[in-house]
Amino acid sequence: MKKVAALLFISALAVLLLYVVASMPPMGDPDNPTATHVIPRYLERAEEETHTVNVVTGVILNYRGYDTMGEVTVIFCALAAVLAVLGRERRGVIHGFVDRSEVPASVIVKTMVRFMVPFIILFSVYTILHGETSPGGGFQGGAVIGGSMIIFTTIFGLYESSRRIPLKVRAPLEGAAVMGFFLVGSLGLVGGGNFLTYAWPRVAQGLHPSLVVWLTVLVEVGIGLGGAMVLTSILFAMIREEEEIAPAS
Amino acid sequence: MRLLHNYHYAAAMLLFCLGLHTVIVRRNIIKKLIGLNIMETSVFFFYISLGYLEGGIAPIRTGGADPARMVNPIPQALILTGIVVAVSVTALALSMVILLYRQYGTLDVDRLMREEEPEAGESGKEG
Repeated sequence: MKKVAALLFISALAVLLLYVVASMPPMGDPDNPTATHVIPRYLERAEEETHTVNVVTGVILNYRGYDTMGEVTVIFCALAAVLAVLGRERRGVIHGFVDRSEVPASVIVKTMVRFMVPFIILFSVYTILHGETSPGGGFQGGAVIGGSMIIFTTIFGLYESSRRIPLKVRAPLEGAAVMGFFLVGSLGLVGGGNFLTYAWPRVAQGLHPSLVVWLTVLVEVGIGLGGAMVLTSILFAMIREEEEIAPAS
Repeated sequence: MRLLHNYHYAAAMLLFCLGLHTVIVRRNIIKKLIGLNIMETSVFFFYISLGYLEGGIAPIRTGGADPARMVNPIPQALILTGIVVAVSVTALALSMVILLYRQYGTLDVDRLMREEEPEAGESGKEG
């Protein structure tokens, strides 16, 4: 009965949504309202205004810097909430986790993971540092580092991976994204401009473009490190067990 | 016909309905969370499709790329924000699921609802 009601409701919703889609402007048309108003200005003037070649990075870190700063705060709050719910490991104590998989990781898997993880981290460094000239950026690179940590932890266990990234390294770096934003934003205030602007009227008529690029890279590195450490800490908090969470079968 | 031409949008809408169906019908909380993630993904897909341009190129100004042919960068920037928020929501929800499982030993919503009342009464007595 409940399932039939749910199916009826969802069918009605689908018909309604498809009706709306049928009356939307055609996809990919250059005259769409989504592609006409502010977009041509961003695309044409982003390079001279933000000094970044990649327009998406320019939008994220310059035009909509406040938005991204709020987003970075959201990840930090998510980590704080996860740690409030699950608790954090005590400093200096290394927790193990019980491997309940039927088949232990074989030598081939372990060797491959040990071989691949440095290259994955190298790729993420490339992704972070080239965020303003090619597809990529801090969030993507940080997610790649977090993914490499997830692979490593699931294969080698929490003991090995929290020995490599101990709490005293992770804890200060978790706020790196927020701190990077705040630092660069405050530099804009010191220079006589507004918060998170890269034009410093008190220092010079306009900053040298290469300096603006370096500031952008600084924010990107902060976002990448902070995102990676937040993901790693969430993973460690979830995988850590003080008591057995599942009944031993 | 417009619906067939806008097939990306239509697919996003169907994916959204699929995710909503999973959230409503499934009894396992983890599967409900998977449905929530499917819904989020469909919204991202819809936004990115909104920025598509026929024969468009990536919005990166190298090698004298023509700005008039570039796809819309705003949805991409917005969705980057959205993905991070989705990851945060999923992480928080999963940690609460871990806590629920530790407390009750089940992830079935119906059984959780049934077991809720006596447990709440016991903890009330202790307090």
